[in-house]
Amino acid sequence: MTSTAADVRSRGKELRKQSKSTTQSVIVGTVTLVVFLALWEILPTLGVLNRVLIPTVSDTIWGLGQLIIGGYWWEDLASTLSSVLIAWTIGVAFGITMGVVLGTSPFVRTAITPYAIALQALPKIVLAPVLIGALGFGPESKIAIAVAICFFPVWINTMVGLSLPSAAEFTFMRSLNATRVQLFRKLQMPSAVPIVLVGMKHAMLLSFTGVLVAEILSSASNGLGKLVKEFSIQLNMPLTLAVITVVLTIAVSLVSIMDVLERKAVFWSESERGKKS
Amino acid sequence: MPKNNDSKVLVRLEGVSKKYQSGSNEIVALSGLDLEAREGEFLSLLGPSGCGKSTALNIMGGLLKASEGIITIAGEEMTKPRRDIGMMFQQAVMFPWRTTIENVLLPIEVFGLNKKDYVAKAEELLEMVGMTEFAKSYPWQLSGGMQQRAALCRVLIHHPKLLLLDEPFGALDEFTRETMNQELLRLQSHSGSTAVLVTHNISEAVFMSDRIAVMSARPGRLIGVIDVPFERPRKPELYGRPEFTKLVVQAREMLGLA
Ligand SMILES: Nc1ncnc2c1ncn2[C@@H]1O[C@H](COP(=O)(O)OP(=O)(O)OP(=O)(O)O)[C@@H](O)[C@H]1O
Ligand SMILES: [Mg+2]
Repeated sequence: MTSTAADVRSRGKELRKQSKSTTQSVIVGTVTLVVFLALWEILPTLGVLNRVLIPTVSDTIWGLGQLIIGGYWWEDLASTLSSVLIAWTIGVAFGITMGVVLGTSPFVRTAITPYAIALQALPKIVLAPVLIGALGFGPESKIAIAVAICFFPVWINTMVGLSLPSAAEFTFMRSLNATRVQLFRKLQMPSAVPIVLVGMKHAMLLSFTGVLVAEILSSASNGLGKLVKEFSIQLNMPLTLAVITVVLTIAVSLVSIMDVLERKAVFWSESERGKKS
Repeated sequence: MPKNNDSKVLVRLEGVSKKYQSGSNEIVALSGLDLEAREGEFLSLLGPSGCGKSTALNIMGGLLKASEGIITIAGEEMTKPRRDIGMMFQQAVMFPWRTTIENVLLPIEVFGLNKKDYVAKAEELLEMVGMTEFAKSYPWQLSGGMQQRAALCRVLIHHPKLLLLDEPFGALDEFTRETMNQELLRLQSHSGSTAVLVTHNISEAVFMSDRIAVMSARPGRLIGVIDVPFERPRKPELYGRPEFTKLVVQAREMLGLA
């Protein structure tokens, strides 16, 4: 028992050390941001950078105000967001299915691995023209491109996750004469959850990327990608940057939501990592 | 309670050999091993590292197939892991996403039994090893010794006839190990299970066992069996008794260490 108490105490000390370094990093982070914004404001104002091409912070904020007041782009926002979520859902479902099939049957894995490697190496964006050609400029092609880009990390992480349990864990389950289904449900699946969630988070951003690229490439009728393209063609840089700010906000929000889910679901793995480091 | 020689045999190995294929050469881990464990007894497998103790134990547990020989458990030939056997290893193997009591109840889930019927038993076992207040803790909140205590409860939850223990406390410090050994003896006599313990610690083997099977270095063979007649429950004072020392010396001589 004394050893446990000592453990808890030393962990407490570590936490305090951590919180000290957290305050430091918050300070450094804030200073960096302030310096960055100041330079962004000053350099175009002084003419060091061309203000038409690189508008200042205040120009961008003004653009953002225009955008929000204008309100004509809600449809674009909705179109992009819904495409991202639909593509992500399909990509995740497909990735997990592939990962489970390959992760649990060595035969299929051996058969498919070479193609999987080739597919992984392929910069999937090159498929965009093909998919747009096949599916047109509507949401279908956007979603298809995003799915093609985003399912891979989910697939790979699921496959890797299922093989994460140690030999001792597999042996233990075998000593209970567990069936393959039980092995999967009680050991492999829970072990895989943390890394699958990481894959899902990456997939979210990749899906976003895929949809935007598709919108920019395909002269789609709506979407944030189309908006960015149109504003920049008109050389309306404040509005272009305003849309980019919107994109950034959405991306950060999506990742934050995924982070929260991840922390909830894998509290045990977090602590394990904490203990190991 | 020392066992008389005529009590029933639970596990019997006859002429068991095990060869491992490693690359092009063959390693003979066990050769012609004859061994039996009688009902209710505490048997230790004692031998130098690499002599095939774990191999023999895994064969008894159905995790490994013997290359030759016959293994019977309660008169039936052994083919695969059975529910009336409980195995414990050097690592506790606690799943970090389950609380202690959920880990203890895992075998019940795997066997498809009703968990509700076993919650009280799990709580009782945890209480016996002084872990009641940690029932709802996660394994990573426990020390190594506490994790092995929980693993001990887990192996006993379904009341196995046979306990196969592969250096279960080998990774713990000596103080903790001694306490754990005591707890193991207490729980084993409480449940009346037969126990086979793998160890390379001679005095531990003498302290714990009714009989000690002494094995030779590779290829593993049985050198001989030492009967340990001390009364139970075993008390730590035993370590100081001359008869105890005599048996330790006897085991050392059999192993060629004296
Ligand atoms: N999977 C395997 N493949 C090849 N050789 C093996 C394998 N498992 C064990 N061996 C060999 O068989 C012999 C017996 O191994 P085993 O693990 O049974 O020994 P042990 O008595 O339990 O040793 P220790 O006390 O160190 O645990 C060793 O020489 C080992 O090298
Ligand atoms: Mg061993």
